[in-house]
Amino acid sequence: MKKILVLVLALVMALSAVSALADITIVQNKVEIDAALQEYAAEFSKDAGYNVKVITAGGSSDYNTALKAEFASGKEPDIFVIEGPTGYELYKDKIADMTGEEWTQYTAAAYMDGDKVVGFPVAVEGYGMAYNKDILDKAGIDPATLTNVDAYQAAFEKLDSMKEELGLDAVVSMVAGTAPGMTWVTGLHNFNIYLTVGLDRNDTSIIDQVLEGKVDEDRFHAYCEYVALIFKYSDPEMLINGTQDMQLAAFANGKTAFYHQGNWMDPNIVALNVNFPMAYAPHAFLHEDTDGILVNAPSWYVVNENAGNAEQAIDFLNALADTEAGHDYMVNKAAMVPAFTNVTIEPATPLSKSVMEWNAAGKTYSWQQYKLPDGFGMGTLGPIYEMLASGAIDEPTFEQMMKDAIATIPTL
Amino acid sequence: MEKQKLFYGRRERKITEFLFLVPTVLAFLLVIIVPFIIGIYYSFTDWDGVNAAKNVVGLANYRAIFTEPGFLHAFLTTVLFTLFNVIAVNVAAFLMALLVTSNVKGRNLYRAGFFVPNLIGGIVLGSIWQFIFSSILPAVGKALGWGWLSASLITNPKTVVGAMVTVNTWQYAGYIMMIYVASIQGISQQVMEAASVDGATYWTRVFKILMPLMANAFTISLFLTLTNSFKMYDVNLALTNGGPTTLFMGKPVQASELLALNIYNTAFKYSKMALGQAKAVIFFVVLVVVSLVQVSINKSKEVEM
Repeated sequence: MKKILVLVLALVMALSAVSALADITIVQNKVEIDAALQEYAAEFSKDAGYNVKVITAGGSSDYNTALKAEFASGKEPDIFVIEGPTGYELYKDKIADMTGEEWTQYTAAAYMDGDKVVGFPVAVEGYGMAYNKDILDKAGIDPATLTNVDAYQAAFEKLDSMKEELGLDAVVSMVAGTAPGMTWVTGLHNFNIYLTVGLDRNDTSIIDQVLEGKVDEDRFHAYCEYVALIFKYSDPEMLINGTQDMQLAAFANGKTAFYHQGNWMDPNIVALNVNFPMAYAPHAFLHEDTDGILVNAPSWYVVNENAGNAEQAIDFLNALADTEAGHDYMVNKAAMVPAFTNVTIEPATPLSKSVMEWNAAGKTYSWQQYKLPDGFGMGTLGPIYEMLASGAIDEPTFEQMMKDAIATIPTL
Repeated sequence: MEKQKLFYGRRERKITEFLFLVPTVLAFLLVIIVPFIIGIYYSFTDWDGVNAAKNVVGLANYRAIFTEPGFLHAFLTTVLFTLFNVIAVNVAAFLMALLVTSNVKGRNLYRAGFFVPNLIGGIVLGSIWQFIFSSILPAVGKALGWGWLSASLITNPKTVVGAMVTVNTWQYAGYIMMIYVASIQGISQQVMEAASVDGATYWTRVFKILMPLMANAFTISLFLTLTNSFKMYDVNLALTNGGPTTLFMGKPVQASELLALNIYNTAFKYSKMALGQAKAVIFFVVLVVVSLVQVSINKSKEVEM
């Protein structure tokens, strides 16, 4: 009896050892791309000489638990997903340095640890000032000129004066209400304009300053004026009352010329059968030109050195970034915006297409808002935006209250 | 071996009784008492709710609470909301109870109809009413040219508490009505008839006979509405999520954020578990004191037949 048991155990161990040599395992968290990735991995395995196995665990908390379980099982994954500094810090010791690998030359959105490239961007998401090209054409505004706040000021004024003629309710479709739960648009995404627009992707000077409770006076003043400008030309009712659907509906029905949202709204835009051309203009809040939209990867693939197949795992990622099949999978099958400049396939959806064009042109600014303390952007800054939107406070008070709130960050 | 006894003695019976109690007592201890005590301990630390690291900081959290505009505003708003809500729910429930125990036609239909809103969950109800307040009522207001109704009542800091009272009354009055109905039906018809023979009007009979005889129903109903209003969370979350923003002590605060939502947000949104626990302890003490006072006042008014 005992002998048989030992035999079986030995066999199992031998088998798993063989399979460990032959397989690489990816543990990932995007349920919506699971089928596409499985299919791509199966195709890839045919030519690669080793098998790529995909394990998908959905949802953020489920994923983190599943990932811990995979590590605890002793059969560590070769590739897994991190969603930011928290995940990186946790697995730092196992994560391979991919500096100089082939794929790194095609992207600016890799996860960096100092100068070390460690994370392969799964996709990118982006936002800017989406515009309805038909309306801008009718008003004689060239969106390419919207690269500084003076151009915006002039464009807003012109559109506002032509509201009736163009059939507009307001110039911008913007939301800031707490009750409809839209403070992430203001307190996180809009605030990030202050944090990164005009800066190099690796430049964290402004966010570092904010985390110390301080602001760059001139830059912050310009930012607050930009917020006030957007609010001034938005529908006041929409600002405090509008939901995500209402905000989109106003833009999709041609009732506004601009729309303050990201390319994650694309499925909804497709569902509404919107047929006018649209794209992103920069959130240019300075008097100097800043020609770029805000693009970042929400998650990254990292390679586990400990699992022993780092080479194959990196090959897999290189192929994803540098083969037709990889591009086809990312854009057409998984409907993502690849973070790579060498991808020539165009996404079918309008905002994603615009994000990809800006990204390919290398004109992007990063996202730093997730470094803010928990709840700070949505819960502490959001309400201040809402008061400016409702007219409860004026622009100078807004600026002062924002500064006061930021000053409390070191004590949080 | 001793012969098996057919009847157990006093001691054995005690043990048996105790054993039957164990599952309930254990569950109560594990899910109520132990977390409660641990919660009090956490309120003296700086725990963030996630990391294992925590230091005992003494009364620092309690001191921070009383200088925090957000909490003070939530406290005052909760008191205000409770005051209006207790009155509104009980007046509405009592009037509905009178209606459905009278001889009015279709009273069984009313009885069911008034109770139905109570069957809808708070989150669903909050979302439905949010739609009513933000889309339907303003449309009605604009069509009729009523200025006060043409803007959403839940995005105005001055009207938002009233809007929450309306929603909660709509939901909860039917439930309290049932308590009043049961109580009214327990009162002998002879007393009411005797009074009416003596020439007492309907409202005299209600105020002088019905209400004093129903005092125990008022005790329980007021207790339920009082604690329910104080602990209001689900409708608050789904209807307004604490918004809109208003100024209080020179700081931006959430105009309709009640205590429970404020505590939840402190603990989970801002990851300040210890501070949230300290607020919860204060909340518990206040709620116990207020309900004890209410019950003892009401009890003294009850009469025995």
